[in-house]
Amino acid sequence: MLSLRNLVKVYPGPVSALRGVDLEIPRGMFGLLGPNGAGKSTLMKILAGLLEPTSGEVTLDGLDIVRHPEALRPHLGYLPQEFGFYPYLTGEAMLLYLLKLKGVTAPRGLKALVAELLERVNLTFAAKRKVKEYSGGMRQRLGIAQALAGNPKLIIVDEPTAGLDPEERLRFYRLLAEVANERTVLLSTHIVEDVAMLCPRFAVIRQGRVVAITSPTEAKAAIQGTIFEGTASNAELAELQRTRRVTQAVLFEGRNRVRIHSTGSDVPPGFERVTPTLEDAYLLLMKDTREAPATSQPTPGVEAAREVAR
Amino acid sequence: MNVARLGTVVRTELSHQLRRPLFIILLLITFLSVWGLSSGNVTIESGASQVGGQKAWVTSEFAVSQTLLLLMFLLYTFFISVGAGMGIIADEEARVGPILHTTPLTPREYVWGKFLAVLGAYGVALAALVLFLVFFHHVVPAGENAEYRGPLSWLNYVRPALFFGVPMLVFFAGTAFALGEGTRRPVLVYFLPVMMLFLCAFFLWSWSPGWLDPRVNRVLQALDPAGMRWLSETWVKVDRGVAFYNVERVGLDALFVFSRLGFIAVGLGGVAWSARHVARGLRGAPVRDVRGKTLADIPLATPEGVTREETPLSTLGMRAQSPEALSGLWVVARAELRGLLSQPGLYLFMPIILLQTVTQALSKVGPFDTPLLTSSGFFAVGTMGAASTLACLLLMFYTVESLERERASNFAPIHDASPVRTVSVLLGKALANSLVGVSLLVAAGLAGSLVQLSQGQVALSLWPYVLTWGLLLPTFFAWTCFVLAARAVAGGRFGAYGLALAALCLTGYAAVRGNLHWATNWPLWGAVLWSDMGPFEMDRSVLLLNRVGTLGLAAFFTALAVRLDGRRAADSVSLLERIRPGGLLRGAWRLSPWAVVPAVALLAAAVQVGQGWQGDAAKKRAKEYWQKNLATWLDAPQPSIQDVDLDVELDPKGRSLRTRGTYTLVNRHAKALPSFAFTGGDHWEDVRWTLDGKDVAPEDRSRLYVFKPETPLAPGAVVRVGFEFRGEFPKGMTKNGGKVSEFILPSGVVLTSFEPSFAPVVGFRDDIGVDKDENKYEPRVYPDDFYEGLTEAAYGMGTPFTTRIRVTGPAEYTLNSVGVLESDEVKDGRRVSVWRSDAPVSMFNIVAGRWTVLRGEGTSVFHHPEHVYNVEDMRRGLDASRRYYSEWFHPFPWKELKLSEFPGLATYAQGFATNITFSESIGFLARSTPEANAVLLITAHEAAHQWWGNMLIPGKGPGGAVLSEGTSHYSAMKLMEQLEGPRTRMEIAKRLEEHYAKERYVDGERALVKLDESREGDTTILYNKGGWVFWMLEDLMGRPAMHAGLQAFLQKYVGHEDHPVLQDFTAAMRPFAPDAAAYDAFVQQWFHEVHVPQYRLSNAQVKQEGGQWVATVTVENVGDGRMPVEVAAVKGERFAERKDAKTPDVQSPDYRDARARVVLGAGEKADVTVRADFPPERWVVDPDVRVLQLRREQAVVSL
Repeated sequence: MLSLRNLVKVYPGPVSALRGVDLEIPRGMFGLLGPNGAGKSTLMKILAGLLEPTSGEVTLDGLDIVRHPEALRPHLGYLPQEFGFYPYLTGEAMLLYLLKLKGVTAPRGLKALVAELLERVNLTFAAKRKVKEYSGGMRQRLGIAQALAGNPKLIIVDEPTAGLDPEERLRFYRLLAEVANERTVLLSTHIVEDVAMLCPRFAVIRQGRVVAITSPTEAKAAIQGTIFEGTASNAELAELQRTRRVTQAVLFEGRNRVRIHSTGSDVPPGFERVTPTLEDAYLLLMKDTREAPATSQPTPGVEAAREVAR
Repeated sequence: MNVARLGTVVRTELSHQLRRPLFIILLLITFLSVWGLSSGNVTIESGASQVGGQKAWVTSEFAVSQTLLLLMFLLYTFFISVGAGMGIIADEEARVGPILHTTPLTPREYVWGKFLAVLGAYGVALAALVLFLVFFHHVVPAGENAEYRGPLSWLNYVRPALFFGVPMLVFFAGTAFALGEGTRRPVLVYFLPVMMLFLCAFFLWSWSPGWLDPRVNRVLQALDPAGMRWLSETWVKVDRGVAFYNVERVGLDALFVFSRLGFIAVGLGGVAWSARHVARGLRGAPVRDVRGKTLADIPLATPEGVTREETPLSTLGMRAQSPEALSGLWVVARAELRGLLSQPGLYLFMPIILLQTVTQALSKVGPFDTPLLTSSGFFAVGTMGAASTLACLLLMFYTVESLERERASNFAPIHDASPVRTVSVLLGKALANSLVGVSLLVAAGLAGSLVQLSQGQVALSLWPYVLTWGLLLPTFFAWTCFVLAARAVAGGRFGAYGLALAALCLTGYAAVRGNLHWATNWPLWGAVLWSDMGPFEMDRSVLLLNRVGTLGLAAFFTALAVRLDGRRAADSVSLLERIRPGGLLRGAWRLSPWAVVPAVALLAAAVQVGQGWQGDAAKKRAKEYWQKNLATWLDAPQPSIQDVDLDVELDPKGRSLRTRGTYTLVNRHAKALPSFAFTGGDHWEDVRWTLDGKDVAPEDRSRLYVFKPETPLAPGAVVRVGFEFRGEFPKGMTKNGGKVSEFILPSGVVLTSFEPSFAPVVGFRDDIGVDKDENKYEPRVYPDDFYEGLTEAAYGMGTPFTTRIRVTGPAEYTLNSVGVLESDEVKDGRRVSVWRSDAPVSMFNIVAGRWTVLRGEGTSVFHHPEHVYNVEDMRRGLDASRRYYSEWFHPFPWKELKLSEFPGLATYAQGFATNITFSESIGFLARSTPEANAVLLITAHEAAHQWWGNMLIPGKGPGGAVLSEGTSHYSAMKLMEQLEGPRTRMEIAKRLEEHYAKERYVDGERALVKLDESREGDTTILYNKGGWVFWMLEDLMGRPAMHAGLQAFLQKYVGHEDHPVLQDFTAAMRPFAPDAAAYDAFVQQWFHEVHVPQYRLSNAQVKQEGGQWVATVTVENVGDGRMPVEVAAVKGERFAERKDAKTPDVQSPDYRDARARVVLGAGEKADVTVRADFPPERWVVDPDVRVLQLRREQAVVSL
């Protein structure tokens, strides 16, 4: 169990990135969804031991990883949002080096393990190529291979499918789903579909706070029967945005395909009830929290944070 | 090229460059440097202020040019190289390329824009330098330096900036830009200016032997990016007088103009190449080997993924466990090494550093600039300074870049989240990078071994390399760890460089100021000396403490780096907590265990230094001696020694001695002496004195023991003073290693009566307690007639005395002293040797060692058993010296002449009567060349001191020392001609002449009779010019007259209480001169004035008339002085090539010459015609090398 208690991060400025995050993340796949700048990557870096929080606690199975980040590292598989490798090493040598850094062992030896892992991420053909010659997707796959290596207790993947083609994305999902059976996998993304496909539970983070903790099923159930879809001209769309809760509006062949949320009976003409998606639920949540910012959790001041730091 | 886009790039980049800390720091350093230099200390070579009269202005164009180009080369080249070279690399690391290069901006606009901005920024810096110079030279009150400052002329500043500054900036900016862009390796960019600095400082600016072909010299001038060599060789070295340099412009010539344009072209060419390279890079790497292939033959870059049934990941059986510190370290170190091996810079800079290090070690010379044999130990120690400095620079660059590698390649998030321990990462990197230093040493060792093998004399031995360079390993490791800590503290690349360079500069500054000692000298600069006879004996314990402390520092810096390393980015709030006093104290407390070892070791070293003979306490005692006694005892008359009876017990292992003895003193003054004094050694313990056999307690005035006999010592009265003491000598450790002139060590003992080391010195010593920064004396001013009447001796006792010296030491040692060996017995493992003077001496010494001896005719050479390379030549030299100097000058009064070797802790030879001492690096390791027998030269010179320095002790005062050193050089030249023929003498004479020309200070040179050794440049006059002048005097007087004169001179002054100086010499010789007028003119020109001819040949022609050839040439004396000199039309080489120095000289049968004689004063010229019955090939001035002159190599012209 990964537990986060009142996690605060203030950057010089000062600007706050996390304003008191509380989360209990159980074993299995857990999604972290939020818009750009919500604080997801900051949270990921703190969990990975790369960034010191201003205050708060993080424990993994009782282990305090804020005070002892080094204690977490043997149990961590981490795929950051942006990363690189030594350009002068081959993919095979790079992975081998990382396995050694992680202290990974395997019954058939590390070289065989490297070959296996490269096979899993479909990089066998490029094993002998220098990393500097890899495409973005290939580099991402090498990153995935290293994150999965060594049976880590906690896997943190930050925007992992960026740069992957659909086929590789599915292959990665399968790998993640497989490993998530025995450990905690924290998937940070802004792609709702990834969460919908993989995560039995997820948290939505916005403006440095957790605004919801739910599951895709619960989220969709909560808005079951309230989503309607229809088309509208630009003028009609403007009117709809003023008077209704528009979740999505996409311009398609000259007309706006619009989805609205409505609990009443005043559905605009031409709109039909549709099955809600997780994206609808997420967008509605974002809309709600934007319109009514949460104030229930007081934001610790810098002085309070300093007290915590002491 | 779109000007608007180019302008945008320039403006953006310029704004960035001008705001960079790098640029601000440069301006700050420039400001401080100009402030420091504006005090009038920077003058051109011709402007020695001691000359008096008009001072050389620091504001002249010549002085400004030198200041400007030196400052720019030292500072600006590094900063602009980093600014220019890192531009593209920084963009690459920031990954702005894909966006930038998808805009309409072309590669040319991008590259040229960035370059022009950097150039513009540093152009601003150059303008700032000019303004700072003007400000400090002309605006700030000059005070006492006013006489060094001329009126403001803006051209004096603008012209050097344009002619020297701008080409330098363009060249360095362009090449660094191309290097950075082409390789994308920051290390190469940093090392470019460093290597150029070393190349220039140690070669282009300094290497200019007289024999260098002027054409090669011009090429080297053209190759100097600073223009310093051109300025120096074309203008400064040719003395034109202070007035000229103060007001004239630096005249440009075609060579300079074209070379500056060349450097600008190279710089701009580099940028143009970069623009093309960037453009090519955007198109992707060129594809080769596709000829004849179809697309189907070429594999896909990314093949289709093969779908296969995959087993679950769990079946792989992966397990993870944090790697142990050592295994993690090994993994990181191996990967680092791999990374290092992939650095092309390593293969470029290692050979350059190697070349620099090895060349420097091999170019070390012995006395009189004689070459040395390469031996493992001396080579290893000789390379230490350059190797540690250059390797530290290389390590700094590679370590910082290695630490930056994860960040630069964006690998840091994954790397830093891995469980490998931070200590493993840092130490792994440190270890791998330290191996760079180790491989440098291994390569240098190979180079040294090859040189040794090629010389074929000194046996190859590896252990001196291991022992000596092993000492450097803690330095490399500690430095690398310091760089780790510096980067952890600074948090980035440039901060780390700043801290590391500051530490290096601070150490260098301390070294230059003489403030380094064993507790602070972590790079061991100048601290370690080698001796084949027993390495590192002098400071062994403190050296060990220094190394332990340095290794401890490595551990401490590693701990600090681990603690501060930003693997997890610190929170700014908690960081504030940590840098509060309480937080800092807590941090320091946690680190304190790591500080224990270095603190204890270095503190112990500091204590040893403090308690040693060069420590503060000893310095204070010496100062007290000076303060308490100077006024009373400086010129107080003292009794003379009549007899010395000493009993000295040596304990080389314990580095100590015990002395009992008696001086019989006589008052040779006309007045009674109410008191007299002895100077004692600081190391003396349990001191006892007797006066005429009775115990006395003289007044101890801080080691000046003052005796006040009950009745004053009447003129002619004799008194016996007995003394007894024991002590360790030298007492304790040195301050910072280096040379020690007298010592008792297991490897050897050398003690002289100049110092109160093993016997008291009569009277007050005016050099004890004198610090050059605190109480250095002004050179004493002597009246013109100071030599009239009795002149006291320059050193030693004024009148010779007899000695009996009984030396006791371990049985395996030979114990030598002055005189003849009266007895030599071994009893109970102790040897007792008794030496008695068979003729009076003026000084005495003891030298002891475990030697082998080679005996000659009344001569002996005592040497280290392995140092057999030159002993035969030394014996030959001693034998010949005894024989010929006795014939030419004065009979040798003593029975024996010994030469003994002592460990090379000092590089000197001293010719005590019958007992000459040579340091092992003198003579014993000299390397003779086929042209010149260096061993013979050194031996002949030192043996000559038996006559010139022992039998005849020169008078105290200007010109006195010429009668010791100049005459010894002259004697050596004569002996070499006697033994080896004219060619050897000519080669030696040319070498002395070359050194004189190179080392003299043109305006600062004084006449021989005024020479008091107080100025730099006096030494070469004393030895080289002195030797030459006596040689020319013999030429003028003729050999028989010269010998007769010298014999009469020595007859008069040997053993005399009046000690002669040059005026006495020239007066004594005059009656023997065949032509008194010519003699007087010669004496005036060469002894009383400073003139040196320099001949130039022009209009050389030859035509055949009948069976003869008529050759003509115009000879001009472009130098100074008037001397008769021969000019010869020559055919063929005069001497056949010799295999080695032992092959007899044979004049080639094909050689012919026809000579004429001219006498030319300054600026005079004459046409010379000779008829020859052979076709002459060239004209040569002074074919027999008989007239001292400048630039002899240029006084030759081909026909």
